[in-house]
Amino acid sequence: MSALTVAEERVPFERLLWITACLALTLLAGIATLPIWVAATVGGVAAIRLVLAARGGDAPPRTIRFIIAALAIGLLFLQFRTFNGLSAGTALLSLIAGLKLLETRTRRDIYVVTMIIYFLSLATLLESESFWLFSYLIGVCWLTTSTLLRSTSSSRGGDLSGSLRYAGRLLAQALPLAVAFWLFFPRFGGPLWQMPDNGNSATSGLSDTMSPGDITDLAMSDEVAFRVRFGADTPPPQERYWRGPVMHDFDGHAWRRTDAGRVRAPTLLFRGPAYEYTVSLEPNQHNWLFVLDWPSHWNAVRGYLTSDYMLIQPDPVSRPLDVVATSYSHVSAAEPLGIGMRRRDTRLPPGRNPRSLQLAQELRNAHPDDLDYVHAVLDMFHSQAFFYTLKPPRLAQDSVDGFLFDSKRGFCGHYASAFAALMRAAGIPARVVTGYQGGTFNRFANYWILRQSDAHAWDEVWIQGQGWLRIDPTSVIAPERVERGLNDLVAAGAPLTSRWQQRTPWLTDTRLRLDALRLLWRERILRFDESSQERLLGFLHIPEPDGQKLTLVLTLCLVAGMSWLTWQVRRELKPRPSDPVNRAYEQLCRRLAAVGLRRMPYEGAETFAARVAAERPDLAIVRSLCRRYSELRYAAGPPAAAAAAAAATFVAGVRAFRPGRVRPGRVRPRGSRGSA
Amino acid sequence: MTISRRRIYIIPTRFGIALALLLIAMLIAGLNYNSNLGLAFGFFMSSLALVAMHHCHRNLLGLGVDVTAEVDAFAAGYARFDFLLHNDAGIERCDIEIRCDRATATRSVAARSYEQASVNLPVENRGVTRLERFELRTRYPFGWFRAWTYVQCPLIAFVAPQPRGDLALPAAAAAAGTTAYSELRGDEDFAGLRAYEAGVPLKHMAWKVLARGGEPAVRSYSGPAAQPEWLDWSSLDRVDAEARLSQLCRWLLDSEAAQRPYGLRIPGTEITPSRGAAHRSACLRALASYPSKAHQ
Repeated sequence: MSALTVAEERVPFERLLWITACLALTLLAGIATLPIWVAATVGGVAAIRLVLAARGGDAPPRTIRFIIAALAIGLLFLQFRTFNGLSAGTALLSLIAGLKLLETRTRRDIYVVTMIIYFLSLATLLESESFWLFSYLIGVCWLTTSTLLRSTSSSRGGDLSGSLRYAGRLLAQALPLAVAFWLFFPRFGGPLWQMPDNGNSATSGLSDTMSPGDITDLAMSDEVAFRVRFGADTPPPQERYWRGPVMHDFDGHAWRRTDAGRVRAPTLLFRGPAYEYTVSLEPNQHNWLFVLDWPSHWNAVRGYLTSDYMLIQPDPVSRPLDVVATSYSHVSAAEPLGIGMRRRDTRLPPGRNPRSLQLAQELRNAHPDDLDYVHAVLDMFHSQAFFYTLKPPRLAQDSVDGFLFDSKRGFCGHYASAFAALMRAAGIPARVVTGYQGGTFNRFANYWILRQSDAHAWDEVWIQGQGWLRIDPTSVIAPERVERGLNDLVAAGAPLTSRWQQRTPWLTDTRLRLDALRLLWRERILRFDESSQERLLGFLHIPEPDGQKLTLVLTLCLVAGMSWLTWQVRRELKPRPSDPVNRAYEQLCRRLAAVGLRRMPYEGAETFAARVAAERPDLAIVRSLCRRYSELRYAAGPPAAAAAAAAATFVAGVRAFRPGRVRPGRVRPRGSRGSA
Repeated sequence: MTISRRRIYIIPTRFGIALALLLIAMLIAGLNYNSNLGLAFGFFMSSLALVAMHHCHRNLLGLGVDVTAEVDAFAAGYARFDFLLHNDAGIERCDIEIRCDRATATRSVAARSYEQASVNLPVENRGVTRLERFELRTRYPFGWFRAWTYVQCPLIAFVAPQPRGDLALPAAAAAAGTTAYSELRGDEDFAGLRAYEAGVPLKHMAWKVLARGGEPAVRSYSGPAAQPEWLDWSSLDRVDAEARLSQLCRWLLDSEAAQRPYGLRIPGTEITPSRGAAHRSACLRALASYPSKAHQ
């Protein structure tokens, strides 16, 4: 039998079933990013293969396989226009795995499918960073590896639990080495080369348009937008506004952000306390980063401030990202508002919202001062019957008119939109800022969780001599006018949580603890990088840690790991006798061998003892010990308790037995301890 | 003999090389995407491969093997080498492949146990076939690595000629003619029991007597066949030496089957008449060792 024939040996149906199951479990982990039809194709192909195999049939003919493959891969190319990049590559690999399954007959095919499973698991992990997914995929790999074992080893073939145990033991032995690799393998900051970004990932969270009601949808979502850990000081709640997209263009209904290009941000004079913090962003596929009003420093690579103080980075946030930044809550403008910006932020669509324009005109006549006018508008929201609700009525094209004069019910977006429109109608530069406000404090790990339900919209108005002033019109709505939704409890500034969570504080606590673990996972595992490695080396008391020393430590660890592995693996070759009586007997023989009385392989216990007694009359006790050993081993079974007692006596006897070495020509008295 | 550490070689199979390439690709992907989980997974799989390498090596380490180093065979048949794999270790040795030239046998040996295996080596021509060594190899656990060791123990197959030829035994033909010969080959008459003595064929033991608690006894047979027969090279006038040897082999086997003492006389060798397994083997080996024409 040559190597070729081993590889070409047929694999039984049962193994085919298992490897298909492993592939299915792997694909399941990445199903979210896989085009539906790819998953369906792979599933269908696997089903066809299994049905064929169950009937004892072979793989479908080559031409059919070729046609299916050509069709599927062609379709894939039509969809992605490339095979480069993670999404397209993963989809292609999944398809190939499915098609490979279609022709899987031999051990070699099993190897190929196994390798595809390994690589698909990796590709899934590149896209997601969840602890559960990681554990799940390790589990799937365990199963896959044991299936590989059963497919390649003739003796382990049918032994499912045995091969699972064996593969599990191998994985357990691999763990320490893997940890050493992972800890000390040098990390590079950026990617080795840029890969095209995946095209089909959905954005989440705030977007660059806001029509009244948009944020209402977000308020229903419990999804985490980002987590924040503050440095020394935490700003008071009324200053925790996390700045997101700033909107300038109003079409009468919705606000829109147009990219003004890379215009330098006007200089600000920072006053008051500085707040340092780390924002741990969840991927949202947008390229803005959320920072506290008003940012002065940040560590985002290639991130820059726009003219309206948004922190932007060129690439969308497609993976969890940490931004360390410093912000000041009090600023004043160091330079006047540019003509272009003033024009942009006072523009209103002509002919829209006529009633609002008229209202603005009346109010403006009464309050010629800008600040007075601002307060008059806020006072109107406060004193008139405006309601805050999660279920606002739908508004027509002139959304400001509809809201101010007809429905009078709205969420934060409605108030921000209407307020900015009224400001602009009076010639005051105003813009809508969207972002997050509030958040949940996790007291178990001292950080804030900002969920999508914390999304908020507010305004900024330009006051001559002060600069941009943040106005949050929602905050003036009287608390008693907050309407309750059907199922949800809404309170301004408080996160939206369902009733059962509020009723069961322990459950909320559990959620917070879990979230704390998630942050720990993220900070310790996912964000492990060069600087963490330097800290680690520092912790190991290695002076001036650098890349070279890291490599040295890695090498040392690997040498130690391999030695440990060699020892561990060979140790199993000679197991200690588990039986204490046997162990004691071996000990007895070792001690006698040490004084020159080696038991010959053909000698039984009592023959040996007789020889010992003949050669060394002072060691006559060996006879009784060996006699006892024979009885324990071979005599017809005494009662269990008596046997245990006899065994204990024997073991104790052996322990106390110390044969002395005999000097030539001199026989020691019995029982003396040998020190020669 | 026991396989020691220094004699075991190990290399990756082609699946192992493919896996190594895959692992490198995984590490590059993990580094490129700066994904700690991807790296962790890649390192885990790499470590698994290293552990598998150790297990593959260990699978042979300390394994004991014994072999019947000299066997008899017939040309165009198989030389059957019997192996005994003994495993004193506390682990199972899976998929141990014994290779003699191209012939193989695969066995697994449970912990603290032993296992028998036979390798049938095809032999074409009469003569003495000698293998200087045999190989133990294993691909266990995953077939990513192949560990092997050469056991430097010469395996010798004495390949006797194929028994062929239809000439009657010369002595028998002389004594009783061809018809008498065919009677000779028939069943012999049971003549009674006699005391056991060492060397008697086991199939002649009177087990029933022994089972009844009596002294070991042997059934003795009487028959006209019990006279020694000389299988003589010179009695054959064929020109072809191989044909003569084949005929001698035929006679030899027939005589042994008929439990008639026989002696062998070929140029350079004479074996005095006797019978039994050892005698048969000695005679067959003499036939096998007769120099063939190619060597003359």
